Amino acid sequence: MENNFFGEETAIILGLGELQVGKCPMGTIGLGSCIALILHDQRRSLAGLAHIMLPESRGDTDRPGKFADTAMSALLEEMGKAGSTKSSITAIVVGGASMFEFSANSLNIGERNATAVKERLQEQGIRIEHEETGGKVGRSVYYWPEGKGRLIIKRADGTCIAL
Amino acid sequence: MELDPFQKDALAEFGNIGAAHAATSLSQMLMSPIEMTVPEVQAIDIANLHNYINNEITAMVVFQIQGEVADGGYVVVSMPRETVIQLTNQMLGTTDADRDINEMDQSAAIEIGNIMISAFLDATAELLGIVMLPSPPALAIDMAHAAFESIVAQVAGDVNDVLIFNTELTSEAPPVYGSIYMLPNAELTQQLFLMLERMMEPLS
Repeated sequence: MENNFFGEETAIILGLGELQVGKCPMGTIGLGSCIALILHDQRRSLAGLAHIMLPESRGDTDRPGKFADTAMSALLEEMGKAGSTKSSITAIVVGGASMFEFSANSLNIGERNATAVKERLQEQGIRIEHEETGGKVGRSVYYWPEGKGRLIIKRADGTCIAL
Repeated sequence: MELDPFQKDALAEFGNIGAAHAATSLSQMLMSPIEMTVPEVQAIDIANLHNYINNEITAMVVFQIQGEVADGGYVVVSMPRETVIQLTNQMLGTTDADRDINEMDQSAAIEIGNIMISAFLDATAELLGIVMLPSPPALAIDMAHAAFESIVAQVAGDVNDVLIFNTELTSEAPPVYGSIYMLPNAELTQQLFLMLERMMEPLS
């Protein structure tokens, strides 16, 4: 599948369960029940993004980006190594939709994902600068870490917001 | 999870039998011939899913596999928007193809999914010698990848790759295009491999 949304060669598209810390543009495409968690350090023009699939790791550590708890600590640790402090980090949380109609609850884990991510942010005392969670619509997310950071959310219904 | 060529072939044959039955029932419903591709079976790392599942607006009818395999994974019928509208038109005898998806289309998509997946699971269950039944359907009309994520989250909590069976169905008139996906969970995958081993045993 062609993923040239950015029009920039350096952009990194993160698949399910992946995470990345850096200064280059990053994004996730076709976000459903998953969460894109972005941690942003304005002073260093540095950001971390995780494409989180489930709320709890239950001790599973081989792919930290996959779960809300492990993704949070992995992102913070890597940004810490790059010089970020908790007080300079803000968060953006996108995703956690309920994609299916007429569904038993098992497929609609979006809400649990969103709750888990927000709880972890609160524990860490990290302020949420922008949040778009829940609903019934898929989203794609693109983020440019430079300066204040630039965010574009494209929704499946064709609407698009830029921050 | 690495699939050797033999496993790949045998799994594809397994999917083939299910998909053939599903295609036959769709063909009967539309009273027109349906062509299908030989199923592709791939073990896909979840991080690479977006390279296999596109991001187009797609109608996806999803069933959990139940019966003797408890929560055995999912089967999915996926159809582009235009196909759903074509199918509703075909069934109702209407012709307006240039319209938004409505409730009638949603019902039609679910009904088509129901009929195809019942046939798919009947055929594959018989091969395995177990009872497999579809759950009530769930429907999403959205970015295909976004809908797939929710399904993958259910089958890949403990593992990092999923086994995906993909068969494409096409018809000329009406112009219909769609895919069937099967995502067995770890337990059902094990059962499939056991079945393959039995098939390999020499005749005595």
